[in-house]
Amino acid sequence: MRRPLPSPRDVAAPAGWRAVELHDPFEAHVGPLFTRDGGEGERIFGFIVDERHVNEDGEAHEGMMLTFADAFLGHAANRAAEKGCVTLSMQASFLRPARTGEFVECHMRVERKTRAIIFVSGRFNVGDEDMMTATSLWKVLGER
Amino acid sequence: MSTRQVDTSGFGAYAGPVLRDGHSYRFEIAAHHLNADDRLHGGMMMTLAAIMLADAAREAAAEKQPGAKVGALSLNCDFVSAGEKGDIVEGLTEVTRATRTVLFISGELRASGRILMTATGVYSLKDAGTR
Repeated sequence: MRRPLPSPRDVAAPAGWRAVELHDPFEAHVGPLFTRDGGEGERIFGFIVDERHVNEDGEAHEGMMLTFADAFLGHAANRAAEKGCVTLSMQASFLRPARTGEFVECHMRVERKTRAIIFVSGRFNVGDEDMMTATSLWKVLGER
Repeated sequence: MSTRQVDTSGFGAYAGPVLRDGHSYRFEIAAHHLNADDRLHGGMMMTLAAIMLADAAREAAAEKQPGAKVGALSLNCDFVSAGEKGDIVEGLTEVTRATRTVLFISGELRASGRILMTATGVYSLKDAGTR
């Protein structure tokens, strides 16, 4: 495994969370991104919205939210396939904005797994409030 | 025709620049936009779609209702093929329908004529100050 890439900004991990080792340059560019064990094999991911991530209204930009979703719905797909996967399609609904300083969490669920295609959904929340839902389709590399 | 940078917000500028010339958008893939396989990261590709579609939505909103604010409700992105470092990504958008409260926008991204992504988005249109 290659060495993890550093993120351009130092952000302290919230209590109970640790920084994810990132290998994709664009994920490192927007990072750091954090993770914790959710119990029963679940892995939860999160990031703190800072001024790099926001639109002109100071709310997390759709592009940042989709980048975060792509990174960790992809992580769930890779883990389910036990192989590399590429994104085929992603659909996101933006329920409410997340503002600078807020901590966004992502909970993923593998909805179905075939040999070649993995279906993964994600729920994104700030505290008790859902802020985005996403569904995605992944192609397992080398399978048909 | 003159070229200008669109979406100079925090993330638009940090991930971009995305340029617009008339009706087409333009973006050059640099090293920090890649994934671990040296392809354009899916998140960055969706960011381009989000920037272009929102820009088209704002423009359509401004024509319909000057001063109105636009917010993204949903975005659907299909990953048709991969982009590589140094590729110039070109984007086009289309307003599918604009009602009094909702805008339907579609778009596509290409590199050297090859299609990378098709995207559709739904945007809300609100009077300034009500959001």
